[in-house]
Amino acid sequence: MAETTPPPPSHEPPKPPPKAPETPVSKSEPTGRNVPVRNLELKATMLLAFTVALIVASALFLLRARGYFEPKQQLYLIADNADGVVAGMDLTFSGFAIGTVKKASLNEAGQVRVEVDVIRKDAKWLRTSSVFTLVKNIFGPAQLRAYSGVLTDPPLPDGAERPVLRGDFNEEVGRVIGATKDVLDNLNQITSENSELNRSMANLQSFTQKLQGRRGALHAIFGNEEDARKLVQAVERANVAMAEIQRLAQRGDRFVQHADTRVFGANGIADDTQASMRQLQGLLTDARGSLQRVDAVLKEAQGAASNVREATADLGPLRAEVEANLRKIEDMINDLQRKWPFAKDRKIELP
Amino acid sequence: MTHLSTWYRTVSHTSLAPVRWAAAWARITFFGAVMVVRAFSPRSYGPETRYNLARHMYLDTAPILGWFTVLIALFTLIITRIVIVTSESYGLSQYALEMVVRVLVVELIPLTAALFVALRCTIPSGAALVEMRRMGHFRTLHRRRLDPIAVEVLPRLMAGIFACITLAALSCVVAGVLAYFAVWGFTSAGMDAYMHTTGRVFSPMFTFIFCMKTLFFAIAVSVIPMASGLNNIEDDGSRESAALQGLVRMFGVLLVLEALSLVGNYI
Repeated sequence: MAETTPPPPSHEPPKPPPKAPETPVSKSEPTGRNVPVRNLELKATMLLAFTVALIVASALFLLRARGYFEPKQQLYLIADNADGVVAGMDLTFSGFAIGTVKKASLNEAGQVRVEVDVIRKDAKWLRTSSVFTLVKNIFGPAQLRAYSGVLTDPPLPDGAERPVLRGDFNEEVGRVIGATKDVLDNLNQITSENSELNRSMANLQSFTQKLQGRRGALHAIFGNEEDARKLVQAVERANVAMAEIQRLAQRGDRFVQHADTRVFGANGIADDTQASMRQLQGLLTDARGSLQRVDAVLKEAQGAASNVREATADLGPLRAEVEANLRKIEDMINDLQRKWPFAKDRKIELP
Repeated sequence: MTHLSTWYRTVSHTSLAPVRWAAAWARITFFGAVMVVRAFSPRSYGPETRYNLARHMYLDTAPILGWFTVLIALFTLIITRIVIVTSESYGLSQYALEMVVRVLVVELIPLTAALFVALRCTIPSGAALVEMRRMGHFRTLHRRRLDPIAVEVLPRLMAGIFACITLAALSCVVAGVLAYFAVWGFTSAGMDAYMHTTGRVFSPMFTFIFCMKTLFFAIAVSVIPMASGLNNIEDDGSRESAALQGLVRMFGVLLVLEALSLVGNYI
């Protein structure tokens, strides 16, 4: 390379290099055929610009896709274990990614501190009451989710620190297997030969056999055919009674219809009653007039009675005068009797 | 350079096969390093070099851009459809787009673009360099005080790198757009979810590895055929030998680069 010849001075006009020998071999490359290209430099420059524009546009698209042009706020999640937490994993809310884990580290208390970049326009979904979970499923990566039950609560401030609830499938598997083993033991006990379930099944079998018998469910319920037969007879009698009741009801219906005709029909009792009521109203009117007249008579009698009362009041002195005169007459008669010829010897003879 | 060439010729003609193999790789590595340095050196770009560079850039890339894009579009539709149907049948449709992006855009398309450019441009260019040496074109250039490396090799190498990067970039964009339409149809309703998924896949380290992988793919498919074309002295110096050597070495390097990128991304 040291023997490289320096290029000519730049002030010389560009000239095409000497053409390579045109052979079948050299023709195999695209530029092998010495075909002149018009506006070669312009086309080459445009091609170069196209490539550069393509790369720059792709870079800008990726920068925008990774959210470099969007403002963010910080959220710190505190967990007891960083298993499943990787930088770049999403924080989702209702299935939509609203943030990205930036890094995970240990804090002073030995807890895992997960730093999350939340896109500011999506931070409105995070509230002070939001709950954060880290769920590690059997398939796929761990998922960091946010739940906001009360969206009217104050929004989560920038740099807030919240605990995260963990749910690990692998950790749960042990507990699930233990619980499953208990369930299987219980199932073994239940399905053993002398278990309650077996006896119940035997009873159920006899029950179903009775169900399939001639008396069917009644036999199964009462346990013997006699009671079932009695119940069937009772039902039949009840059916007869029901038919009788139905017949009576029909007769009652006819009776009611007849009574309706007689009472409310033309020239029925209702019409007669209405006429009687009218007559009674006239009688009452007459009675009212008679009573008014009686009232007048009574008023007159009351006046006569008052006169009699006054007369009765005058009879007292009159009686006293008569009694006084009678006493005087008696006294006078007594005096006359003591006088002669009317005097009588008054003596008392003792026995 | 003369001293190194002499040493290389001596080792190639007198040593055992493993030593010759190591010497060939050392020669290729040294050539690649020198070409990268010369690519960043403004003195390398004389008028003749610029003319050749423009010509190779345009003629190596533009004619195949459309065909390759159509090919990748069909390939994307088929792969995306297969992935979506399979993931839906297993109830894992939420991972379909991520899988399409990870497998198709990140892994398959850069490799396909590199191989396409290698077969279409750089391996024929390496063979053409062998032919030029055989015909004495390089000596003609020397007599005219022109550097054959700068005038003939560097433009082909840069054009190969450029074609590889352009095809990969355009194909990735087309594949991404088609994957979106294949998953969500002709609606903008899934744009947020698509951007979120894409952003989650292309983490900074993942993007860095993807860019480096594409760049090294481009360098590998451009440097190795040229180096094989310029240093095929251990064999008979034929065009077929140079092309075959370049192809084998290039596949080996691509395999190693792909493995390294997978290790960096997923292990």
